[in-house]
Amino acid sequence: MKRFIAVLGAVLLAGAVQAQETIKIGVITDRVGVSKPYAEPATEGMMFGANEINKKGGVLGRKIELLIEDDQSKPDVSAALARKLIDQGAVFILSVSLSPATQQQQTVTMEAKTPQMTPMNSADYLTTQLNNPYFWQTGPLGSTQIQTLLAHAKAKNLKRVALITDNSDLGQAIGKAFKGSIEKAGIQVVADEVVPLGATTATPQMQKIRGATPDAMFVAGVVTATNVLIFKSYRELGLKFPIHASYNLSVPIYETAAKGLVDGITFVDAYDPDKPEVKAFEAAYRKETGKEPVNLNGYGYDGIHLVAEAIKKAGSTDKEKVRAAMQSLTYAGVMGAKGMKYTFPEGKRTGFDPNGMVVRVYQGDKQGRVVHVGLK
Amino acid sequence: MQDFLELAVGAAASGCIYGLIALAYLLVLRPTGIINFAVGEWAMLAAFGGFLTLTRYEWPYPVGMAVVLLFLFVVGWATERVAVRPLVEKGAPILAPILALLGMLVVFRESISVSFPPDPMPVPYAFGIGRLEWGLLGGTYQSFFIIAVTLAVFIGVWYFFERTVAGKVFQAVAIHRRAAALMGINLSRVTALSFGAGGVAAGLGGLLVAPNVSAHYLMGVPLAIQGFSALVIGGVGRVEGALLGGMVLAFAEQLTVRYAPIPSGYAQGVPLLFLMIFLLVRPSGLLKAKA
Amino acid sequence: MSALVRGLVAIVVLAGAAFFMGDYHNDVYRKLLLWVTLALGYNFLFGICGQVAFSHFAFYGMGAYSIVIFLFELHMPFPLAVLAGIALCALFALAVAIPSTRLEGFYLALVTLALGQLFIVVLGEGGSVTGGTGGIANYRLPEFFGMRIRGPWYTAVIVLLLVFTYAVVKRLDSSWFGRACRAVRDNPEAAAAMGVDVARTKVIAFTLTSALAGVAGMVYAFVDNTVNPPIFGIENAFLLLFMVIVGGAGRHAGAVVGAVLLFLLPFWLSPLVGHHHALVFGVLMVTAILFQPAGLIGLWDRFSRSRS
Repeated sequence: MKRFIAVLGAVLLAGAVQAQETIKIGVITDRVGVSKPYAEPATEGMMFGANEINKKGGVLGRKIELLIEDDQSKPDVSAALARKLIDQGAVFILSVSLSPATQQQQTVTMEAKTPQMTPMNSADYLTTQLNNPYFWQTGPLGSTQIQTLLAHAKAKNLKRVALITDNSDLGQAIGKAFKGSIEKAGIQVVADEVVPLGATTATPQMQKIRGATPDAMFVAGVVTATNVLIFKSYRELGLKFPIHASYNLSVPIYETAAKGLVDGITFVDAYDPDKPEVKAFEAAYRKETGKEPVNLNGYGYDGIHLVAEAIKKAGSTDKEKVRAAMQSLTYAGVMGAKGMKYTFPEGKRTGFDPNGMVVRVYQGDKQGRVVHVGLK
Repeated sequence: MQDFLELAVGAAASGCIYGLIALAYLLVLRPTGIINFAVGEWAMLAAFGGFLTLTRYEWPYPVGMAVVLLFLFVVGWATERVAVRPLVEKGAPILAPILALLGMLVVFRESISVSFPPDPMPVPYAFGIGRLEWGLLGGTYQSFFIIAVTLAVFIGVWYFFERTVAGKVFQAVAIHRRAAALMGINLSRVTALSFGAGGVAAGLGGLLVAPNVSAHYLMGVPLAIQGFSALVIGGVGRVEGALLGGMVLAFAEQLTVRYAPIPSGYAQGVPLLFLMIFLLVRPSGLLKAKA
Repeated sequence: MSALVRGLVAIVVLAGAAFFMGDYHNDVYRKLLLWVTLALGYNFLFGICGQVAFSHFAFYGMGAYSIVIFLFELHMPFPLAVLAGIALCALFALAVAIPSTRLEGFYLALVTLALGQLFIVVLGEGGSVTGGTGGIANYRLPEFFGMRIRGPWYTAVIVLLLVFTYAVVKRLDSSWFGRACRAVRDNPEAAAAMGVDVARTKVIAFTLTSALAGVAGMVYAFVDNTVNPPIFGIENAFLLLFMVIVGGAGRHAGAVVGAVLLFLLPFWLSPLVGHHHALVFGVLMVTAILFQPAGLIGLWDRFSRSRS
């Protein structure tokens, strides 16, 4: 509550105060809608990161001020909020809500020539549908996820696989990315199923998959409750083929919500708990907030640091300079495999290194060791 | 064929859940004419209640279940008291309480959303994880439990309405409110009780389905829509219709996904299409009310 | 003042306001005007004709997607694309309305609810035609006579749409058709006995308002230059119903009041209440209905009555 009063107060003063003003960074998140499970932890990571930066003296001698807006996962509200933030003097906008919402915000940031970044969304179309030089995506792309999974499974010589996802917008986008890469690798997709949100069982879909006798099953879904349904049916039907899952499985809630269901599942993650940056981050987070950090916090943490680094490199908050600085930035953050750096290759605006994901496997109910790194 | 038998028990269990939600609608609709879309959120409250009593505090299952259902009775009664009675006493048009209840839907959902983390919360199975083979049919313990409990509830409700005096009182109110009032029946008590009973029915549905779908803040609206569809398919005239409608809906959904030769993405649309066609062909539902 | 002059003044005032607003307020203003337009049309269907339908947003979306697809994927000339879009909405509306005439009350509600959901499923599965779950972006309003309509000028277009919709529903309301609709709403048997063709009245009302929603959708498509499935979801249909009832069903002014209030409320609440704004919104809704079941327009009535 205190933070909100502080933000409100700062916003009110924004027009008046000229000297030594803060650097305003806009954040568009979802507090009540379907994106809340990942938007909320990411925002908390951002707030923690901003605090940390400010304690160390801020950026260019000025403090960072987060202007946080809630778009309720409604894309048209999202676009209006982007304009609001720009009007309020935000020099950068961080988007952690729904992917279509981030997309709709882009029509605004493109027109207003304001830098925008999503440290979290992984839909591949965000940098391809609109040619917006002010937008970057540092979340791990769906295509990166599947390619990392496939690289790990190469030794298994898969010929026929099943694909299953949910009907959320991100689940469909990642499912599409998965299918594309799998087929490109010469593997046949023998079953392609969708479990709708609100379903009470996934057994009919799993029966169809069973009937197709796949060598393995790829889970592209991002809604935890639906994935739990899928795993329940998998156990009920006594299925044995290996499961490879999207980064949703890296969310720690599976350790409690899916007891007995996840043993042996391999999944991609952008978080390596053995990485020294991660260890430092977790210790600091625990100390400062008293809460147990989760990998989702790391996305927000990295996001705000990337923005801070870009502004530092640009030497000012001028939008054009920041844009150029971000495009040429290299930064090692919390997320990603050991030694991974965020960079934006020539002309591209996706910053998460395709080699930067790890594959981990569940051992019992716990997220286990890293078994594979990158695309080799 | 084996797949069908394997699906059958699970589909029947899903059908029972839909039937319980439909019953929750029915118990309120018959005496008052009010459609309560908040039944899905009632189910969600029970799911979270189950999480608290059974997972977090680890009370024995029957105790937790009884506490949750009692809580839902109170919630149902309170909902009527807060959102419906003032409107009825003002003589507001029938749409007003329906709207107020939609508002309560938002209130319930947001109350849970700000009180719990957004991740799905686990709720334990009644008898743990395990399968039971019964002749050709096989299913999980939970599925059989759901079917057994639902059958017991429906038999109880049917018996109540058909064979007891109190039940006849409810029927009378359902058929003609004014006449019932003239005969000395306490309308507001009947209304309050029917809301409470609706709360229990929805709560039961939520508690029984939660081990599978997990308790989370968005689970209410899909359940409300599925329950409503079940109600319409079965027909609002008879209590058994709610269960029948639930079964038809669940089997249609799952058999379509399993057997229809269309891409899986489109299969989600089939129950909707099915519902639309059904409504246009036989809007009064499968079971007609008794004369 | 005659109606025409009043209308022109309204257009000038409402559109003129846009030129004094910054980008953000213009954006909110435009979306507000669109919601008011939808509420006016929906109020006619629900408040005056008594049909409970949840498909209004599906037709809004149909109009939006169709203009984008016709213009940018099928490369139709603009006037043809507009007509084709309206025709599409009208056809779908007829397809739903004609068989539904036998349904009353919540059956129609359920059919239209299913239609709304089906629409979202089709959008999501539409592959490259509808852009799937990500929707379509990367298009712009084509130039007219060498000019590109943008900024406050586009807001003026939305104002024209609003005034047009208001004129249509007002005209219908005061005509024999409006009386027929009210008669059907209050007592279908009596209406039939008086010679009203109940089925035809219902079908025309549904088709007309759905087509109006479709036209509004076409205008929406160029507000943010993007269309995607979450914009047209089913929750909006419930919000629209709320707007009309909270404002005062059956009264045009009520629709306007309801739309303005409920659209702007989250924008006001969010900075005030922060995290809990949706909860406060729900509580306010319930309170509004409990306090004034006939709609907030009833307060205005009482106020103006007490003055005269």
